[in-house]
Amino acid sequence: MSGFVRRRLLWGSLLLAATLAVISAYARWAGATTREAYLSGWVLFGLMVLLTGYNWFKKIPYLPMGRSEVWLQFHIYAGLFTGVLFLLHVRGRWPTGWFEIVLTVLYVLVMVSGVLGILISRGWPKRLSARGGEVPFERIPIVRRQLREQAEALALNSVAEARSATIAEFHARRLHAFFAGPQNFLSHVFEIRLPLNALLNELGDLNRFLNEQERKVTAQLVTLVRQKDGLDYQHALQLTLRLWLFIHIPVTYSLMLCALAHIVLVYGFSAGVR
Amino acid sequence: MDTAHFVIDKPERWDSSFDSDMTEADVNRLLEIRPFSEMNSGKFSKRTPLRGILKNDARIRRFKNGEIIVRAGDYGSSAFLVLAGNARVVLDPGLPVSLLGQRKSQHKSLFQIVAQLWTNPRDPEVRTPAELEQDTGVKVGGEFKGVFLQDVPRILDEHLTATMSPGDFFGEIAALSRSARTSTIFAVGDATEMLEIRWQGLRDLLRFDDHLRHHIDRIYRERTLATHLREIPIFRRLNDEQLKRVIEQTQFGTYGDYDWSGDYKRLVKEGTRSPEKETIIAQEGDYPNGVVLIRSGFARLSQKFGHGHRTLNYLSAGSQFGLREIAHNWAHKDTVPFQHSLRVIGYTHVIVVPAPVMEEIVLPTVPRDQLPEFFTPAELAGTEQSESQQKLDAGAKIGPELMEFLTENRYFNGTSTMVIDMERCTRCDDCVRACASANEGNPRFLRHGQTTGRIMVANSCMHCADPVCLIGCPTGAIHRGQTGGEVVVNQATCIGCSICSNNCPYEAIRMVEIREEDGAFMVDKDMKPIVKATKCDLCSDQLGGPACERSCPHGALKRMDMNNLDSFAKWLQR
Ligand code: HEM
Ligand code: SF4
Ligand code: SF4
Repeated sequence: MSGFVRRRLLWGSLLLAATLAVISAYARWAGATTREAYLSGWVLFGLMVLLTGYNWFKKIPYLPMGRSEVWLQFHIYAGLFTGVLFLLHVRGRWPTGWFEIVLTVLYVLVMVSGVLGILISRGWPKRLSARGGEVPFERIPIVRRQLREQAEALALNSVAEARSATIAEFHARRLHAFFAGPQNFLSHVFEIRLPLNALLNELGDLNRFLNEQERKVTAQLVTLVRQKDGLDYQHALQLTLRLWLFIHIPVTYSLMLCALAHIVLVYGFSAGVR
Repeated sequence: MDTAHFVIDKPERWDSSFDSDMTEADVNRLLEIRPFSEMNSGKFSKRTPLRGILKNDARIRRFKNGEIIVRAGDYGSSAFLVLAGNARVVLDPGLPVSLLGQRKSQHKSLFQIVAQLWTNPRDPEVRTPAELEQDTGVKVGGEFKGVFLQDVPRILDEHLTATMSPGDFFGEIAALSRSARTSTIFAVGDATEMLEIRWQGLRDLLRFDDHLRHHIDRIYRERTLATHLREIPIFRRLNDEQLKRVIEQTQFGTYGDYDWSGDYKRLVKEGTRSPEKETIIAQEGDYPNGVVLIRSGFARLSQKFGHGHRTLNYLSAGSQFGLREIAHNWAHKDTVPFQHSLRVIGYTHVIVVPAPVMEEIVLPTVPRDQLPEFFTPAELAGTEQSESQQKLDAGAKIGPELMEFLTENRYFNGTSTMVIDMERCTRCDDCVRACASANEGNPRFLRHGQTTGRIMVANSCMHCADPVCLIGCPTGAIHRGQTGGEVVVNQATCIGCSICSNNCPYEAIRMVEIREEDGAFMVDKDMKPIVKATKCDLCSDQLGGPACERSCPHGALKRMDMNNLDSFAKWLQR
């Protein structure tokens, strides 16, 4: 059994055990008091502070506080466990007050973005490597500009050399926009090649109206289009791998602020712990 | 009579001689004194005459009182002959590291670690006065930008030293075997004059002059072999008398090119890095005539496979070759030939203990259960694999492609190579950010590098087993830390000469212009910016080890000892 599988089993069984434990405890005490809402609320809040603490941990990597890999493992499984606590805390009912609705929506957003995040974090690196031609994210705009300039030069020169504007027109109509910026974001994310194939077909169709020399130019353009498509692929995936955290983290902090307010309100209006 | 003109092509290295100021008069003077006066110039080849060696591969250097000539721990590529005046060797215990231009290895305190939260400067490459402060006991300066001990009488008082006088030779073993200098030697008085001979010249002198060769041979056997052999388990049970006999009959030699890194860099630039001609040290199928012990450098272990060769592993300092065959033949009165070939990669210094010596003196002292595994008929027939063979065969564990990649790019040199598993790396750059915050805001590596399959070797110092960058630093600023063997640069004594960064075959050392705490560039008295060498220091002053590795959320980044491919294989299959 590989180390990763063993690790997943270990953390997974911990999660399962913790889940069974709190559910059985809840079943035993259910209805006896309203205390358990306070208890589950505080445990939930405490765990969420620990989960948010991952962000602080990352800011001070020089403190000897263990490996980020272990933190993330804890984060994922404790994060999922908060889901159990959350459901128990709200007794499985959709809240009614507007403030509670906001709180719930924020919580669900953090949860969903976290789950999606870990899924793409585990799955997409392989896609990036498999596709090849990787460019560091910061360099993507530079490479894109180079490709665009090469395509423009090819199209322009073809007018003078072939005394025909067919390629230049096609460039102006289709390629200019294609090379101008990142394209087909969603297709790349979902591994759909239709837009690329459509563009390549159009370029292929064009060949019927071109002479020998111009066909050489379109062959070069095809290469550039493929390169640009690969670059867009890298851009789409690398961007998403970064962007999801821009939802997960800000929403986390909004959630934590609202949770604090929620605690203050609860204690303010319910005359404290009974 | 026909006047034949012989065009003798002189060695390429003489195109740039060691010191262009060496005159014919200097050479004449040297030829008057021992050992050169006793050398028979007729024995030298026409291509490398004695005069030529002295003129092109040697230089006369004068040292001032207290100037350090060689430093313990340095990697130097030249040897010295005292011409006039005298020098002192510091005996054990040596000088404190701060007097050698090095930095004392120490961790930051917990407070200093936490304080990085607010003390990390805004600007890149800021240096505080404390970081640039040199030990008051030393000064950097002089013609060769050497390090001077300030209070020589006190050092002579406080440390045991031995005197070296005209005619004495030193530094030759470190130069020829590419190992660290074992002690510090400094000049006493202002009239100390040394002849410094670079290793190529030294090698040629040895080749053509028996006298010098015997001299070096003797001290090598006395000083180095005895300690080295004692460290190897199989020789541990020899008594002094037996060890002496082994040492007398042991041979040693250097293969390949000391300058492999320079050549390698050139080949990379030309894009013709491989396949290169690799000298064979021992060949598969030959009669095993001795055990080969690798003393420094690297060698490729390969085995015939189909019509070619398959790399099983590379051997580095401390490895042996051929022991299994010789032990088997001795125990079974058999004649099993070498099962593998051993080839030089770059540069290799080896010690060979001849088979008869092993059989008569060494093997009888070894208990049966500590001998290497014997061959079975099935293994020799190739139908079965022994445990020993499987252990050696790292190529099978990490895959032939990765094996070739590591060998071809010389990554086996790394004791802390940064490898990234690109199938787990989310390109989040947490590692880069962590490195920056552990280094006053300056990341010390690029998350970028050569890639094969899913493995990337990132562009970071790998803290080499054979640290080419250390050769030639004039002040000893780049050195190995005293604890973990990590290679670090002392910012106080680095003079920004770029020798280390030019030497590094992996482009892991960057020269940067440094700034004051207010962000202004520091300049010298000619208003030129002050430059320092920077590189990964393995977070040696931080608690908790390399920040890059600890900060990777996905366990994708690992600092890996490339001389332990078993743990690499394990990590790959995790
Ligand atoms: C309510 C619960 C949660 C809170 C408050 C929370 C909060 C956070 C915070 C503050 C970070 C810091 C990221 C950074 O600084 O880079 C983070 C990262 C992360 N979280 Fe959560 N999270 C929660 C639940 C989850 C869940 C349920 C999952 C997945 C199942 C998850 C997956 C992740 C991942 C994968 C990362 C980033 C790892 C990386 O750096 O690549 N989170 N979370
Ligand atoms: S070990 Fe430290 S200094 Fe070196 S690359 Fe990693 S984080 Fe940077
Ligand atoms: S921290 Fe790990 S996952 Fe992130 S970029 Fe560095 S190696 Fe890749």
